[in-house]
Amino acid sequence: MQRRADIERKTSISYKTEEKTVMRGYNLSDLAEEGYSFTDAMFVLFQNRIPAKEEEKMLRYEMGVFLEHSMSPSAAGAIGVAAGRPNLTSTIAASISTFGGVHGPGAAHGYMMKKYLRRAHEEGKTVEEIAEVLVDEYMDNGLPVMGMGQPQHTDSDPRAEPIHLKQEELGLNGVYLRLQRALEKYFHARRKKEGRDYVGVNVVGAGNTALCDIGFAPNAAWCIGSVCRGFSCAAHALFNMKRGRAWAASKREPMVQMLDLSMIKYVGPEDRIVPKQSERAEYAKNQKEEGEYKKWVI
Amino acid sequence: MGDLGPEDKKGIGNLDDPGLPFNYAEREYGTVSMDETRARFQWTSEVAYKNVHRIVARGYDTTELMEEGYGMTDVLFVDFQARIASVEEDQMLNYVMIMALEDGLSAPAAVSRLVAQSKTFLTQACGASVHAFGHAYGAYSAFGNRLLDDLTAGRENGLDIDAIAQGIVDDNLNDESLGVSDLMLQDPAAKRMIERARKLGVAGEYVELMTAIVEKAQAASDTPVDIDMLGAMGAVMLDLGFTPEATWAILAVTRSFAAGAHFIEEIERAEYRRLGQVLTPPEMYDGPSDRPVPPLSEREANAKPALTTDLDEWAKQEEERKSVWGSGYSIHEEIEDPSKKTGVKSVGK
Repeated sequence: MQRRADIERKTSISYKTEEKTVMRGYNLSDLAEEGYSFTDAMFVLFQNRIPAKEEEKMLRYEMGVFLEHSMSPSAAGAIGVAAGRPNLTSTIAASISTFGGVHGPGAAHGYMMKKYLRRAHEEGKTVEEIAEVLVDEYMDNGLPVMGMGQPQHTDSDPRAEPIHLKQEELGLNGVYLRLQRALEKYFHARRKKEGRDYVGVNVVGAGNTALCDIGFAPNAAWCIGSVCRGFSCAAHALFNMKRGRAWAASKREPMVQMLDLSMIKYVGPEDRIVPKQSERAEYAKNQKEEGEYKKWVI
Repeated sequence: MGDLGPEDKKGIGNLDDPGLPFNYAEREYGTVSMDETRARFQWTSEVAYKNVHRIVARGYDTTELMEEGYGMTDVLFVDFQARIASVEEDQMLNYVMIMALEDGLSAPAAVSRLVAQSKTFLTQACGASVHAFGHAYGAYSAFGNRLLDDLTAGRENGLDIDAIAQGIVDDNLNDESLGVSDLMLQDPAAKRMIERARKLGVAGEYVELMTAIVEKAQAASDTPVDIDMLGAMGAVMLDLGFTPEATWAILAVTRSFAAGAHFIEEIERAEYRRLGQVLTPPEMYDGPSDRPVPPLSEREANAKPALTTDLDEWAKQEEERKSVWGSGYSIHEEIEDPSKKTGVKSVGK
C-alpha cells in the first residue's frame, strides 16, 4: 500500500507518520486527550497557538450562530444539488461553493477593515476618524458599506448585535470592534440625516470583526464561516434526500415541487422555427444585421 | 408563446419519421400553467426556519442557544438529531472532530492546493476538498450502514454481538470500509478515542460491536491489523447518535477547515499555475508510442469502428478494451437487483 503524501509540498501546517498526526507541532491525539475543544484546534490550525479561554468562547459563539441559517443560497444550493441524488458530499461542496462575493463572510470585509486601519496609522488619524472616511468613501460612491444590511433580516440581523455584545462581555473589544462600532455609529447617523431607513449590522460585519480581534486573518475567517455553514447544509440536503422525492418534480406530492414544470416562467424570445440548413447563411446574416438578438446576449 | 402550429413545423430531420411514437410537429410549445390545484411551492424543512427577526433550528433560536453557553458542536446535535447533547457527548464530538481536522498532505489537502493554484476563491477549494471524501477515503456511510444493518438484522435473528461481528468480518475482511486495517498499528490515536468514549460514558453498542469486529479480524487476518480511524470515529459517532450519513457529512466538513488552511498556505508559499504551464514528461507516459496522424483522406482505411453485432464479438471487445486505461472498461459498477430497487449499488473497481 502506497502511503506517500498525495502532493509534494513543504508545509508548516501538519505532518503525519505511522505513529502520529501532528498539527503545528501538537500531536492531534494529545490535543484531544487533554480536553481542548474543536474550536481550540481552529486557533492551532490557523494561528499556530493555543487561544485564551475567552477567545475560544468567542469563536464557539460565532460559529454556533453562523452554522444554521435556514434557506440561504448555501442551503438552496445543497437542496438543489440533492435533487439529482449525487453523493452527499457533492451537496456539501456546492453549499460551501455558494459563498462568493455577496453571500456570507467573504474575506473582503476583513481586508476593508485592515486597509482603513492601515490608513489611519499612516495618516495619523484616530480609528473613529478613519471610520467616517470609510463610510463616506463607500456611500459617496454609491457602494454598499460591507458588513451592513441583510436581505432577509431587514429589521437587524438576529446574530449580529449579540455577537458585538458577546465580544464586549468577553473583554475582546480590540481595534477592529472599535472601528466597526465607529463606522456603524457614523453610518446610522448619516443615513438618518439623509432620511433613509435604518440598516443594521449583519453577521459579516459583527462576526468578521470578532474573528479579526481574536487573530484570524480575513481568509481564515472566511474559511471558518463558509465551511461551518456546510454542516447545516448537509442536514438540509439529508432531510431532502431521506424525506423528499428525488428530482423535486413529482406530481404526486400535495405541494407543487421546486422543479415542477409550472414553476418555469420564460421571458426569452418568442417560439420560432428552426431554420433549414439550406436557409442558414441568409438567416444568420439577417439575424445579425437586425441585431434584435443583442438584447438577449448575457 | 405557444402560437406555432404543426403546419409550421414539417420536414425537420427525422422528426416526421413514422417510427416516432408521436407526432413531433403537433407537440405543444409554451410554458406550463401554474398548477392551482396544489399548494404552491415552498422550501420545506424540518431542520430550520428563519424570519426577519430570528433563526430557529429544530425549535431552538440559535442566538439564544449561544447566549445560554452552547457552542458550535452543540448545534450539530440540534441540526442532525433535534436534541441537546449531554456535556460528555459534546466533549466526545469535539474530540472526534479534532482528530478529523488534519491528516497531512492527503487527498483533501492536495485537492484544495491544486484548486488554489488556479487562482480561485477559497470557498471553491474548500468545497472541492469535500469531494475527496468518497467511499474509500471517507467510507463513513458504507461503514456505518453496515454496522446499523447487520446489528439490526443480527438481533432480529437472535444473534449476539460476537456472532454479528464474525459475520461482518467473514464477509468484509479486506474491505476498505471495515474499520480494521494495518493503517494504525503504530499510532495509538484510534484506540485512545475508543477509550475516551468509554471514560466519558458515551460508548455504546457500536463501540462494543466494533471492538468485537477488531478481535475477529485480528484472528482471521494473516497479517497484523487493528482498529483504524474510520472504525473508531465511525463507531463513536454512531454511539453519539449520528447516522452514517450525518457522520460522513460532519467529518468531511470538519476536514474542509484544514483544507482552507492548506489553500491559504499554497497561495502564500507557492505560485499560481498558468494554462499550459504544467508539463508531463514522457517518463510518466506508458500509452501508445508516438505515431503519425493518418491523412483524413485515408480515414476509412485506418478507422476501427466500435460496432459489434453479435454477443461473442461484443464480449471479446469488452475484454480487449480493458487494455485502454482511461476508457472506463476496467471499471465495474454493480447495479442493484431491480426487483428491490434501482440505482448504482457501488462505484469503482
